[in-house]
Amino acid sequence: MATDRLSEIFAALADPTRRAILARLSESDATVNELAEPFSISLPAVSRHLKVLERAGLISRSRSAQWRSSTLRAEPLAEVAAWMERYRQFWDVNLDRLDAHLKNIQSQKGERS
Amino acid sequence: MSSTSTELVINRVFDAPRAVVYRAFTDPDQLAQWFGPVGWSVPRDSVEMDVRPGGVQRFTMVNDADPSMASPVDGVFLEVVENELLVGAEDWDPTGDPSQSERLTLRIEFADEDGKTRLTIRQGPYTEEIMGQAREGWGSSFTKLDALLAG
Repeated sequence: MATDRLSEIFAALADPTRRAILARLSESDATVNELAEPFSISLPAVSRHLKVLERAGLISRSRSAQWRSSTLRAEPLAEVAAWMERYRQFWDVNLDRLDAHLKNIQSQKGERS
Repeated sequence: MSSTSTELVINRVFDAPRAVVYRAFTDPDQLAQWFGPVGWSVPRDSVEMDVRPGGVQRFTMVNDADPSMASPVDGVFLEVVENELLVGAEDWDPTGDPSQSERLTLRIEFADEDGKTRLTIRQGPYTEEIMGQAREGWGSSFTKLDALLAG
């Protein structure tokens, strides 16, 4: 189900550390050690974040155990952008109608007073 | 990348006092007059509003050309500050396909701006993680709502 998949992507993106990890990976692939450097958190904690990102399809990880590096995957981010665009269009039209409604009730009020 | 956001933010200034804009969102008679995309209507009798934390917010958008296409919004208010703030969690879908229904959080802020009203709408996906963060911020007043959401 597309919605469940989006929920997983959004949940993965909801954490600031994980967003920072993605930002780092947008520059180049990196190992767990390299990713842990800027943060005051343990290697196991970084590994847990990477698992969440991998499950959401936001990164892939190479299989070589020793120097296992992570790579950013852009496709899920495009899904997020599409989701946002759908609701942006909804609100654009909806707020046009609100604007017309407010003008309408304001002018009615003006005529009465 | 560092600007990756998980919520949609929309800003618009309306030429009306804050209380008037707030009422357009909270008064069932008014909401029924404007809410929904072009070609869709909100029947007045579908609107149920209990504007207080824990209160329900329900209404249905119905397609004018094909009334069998209906898109219900079924939500609960989480935070309410009169003429200033509405926060809700709700299930809805703007496409009219109930199987595509999504659980969302919606935050609507009303602010004065040169005699007009700046409306800021933040809409994001409902995730346990996001709601967990919100709960920490809201503290113990949330206990009652937790029970309500779980029920």
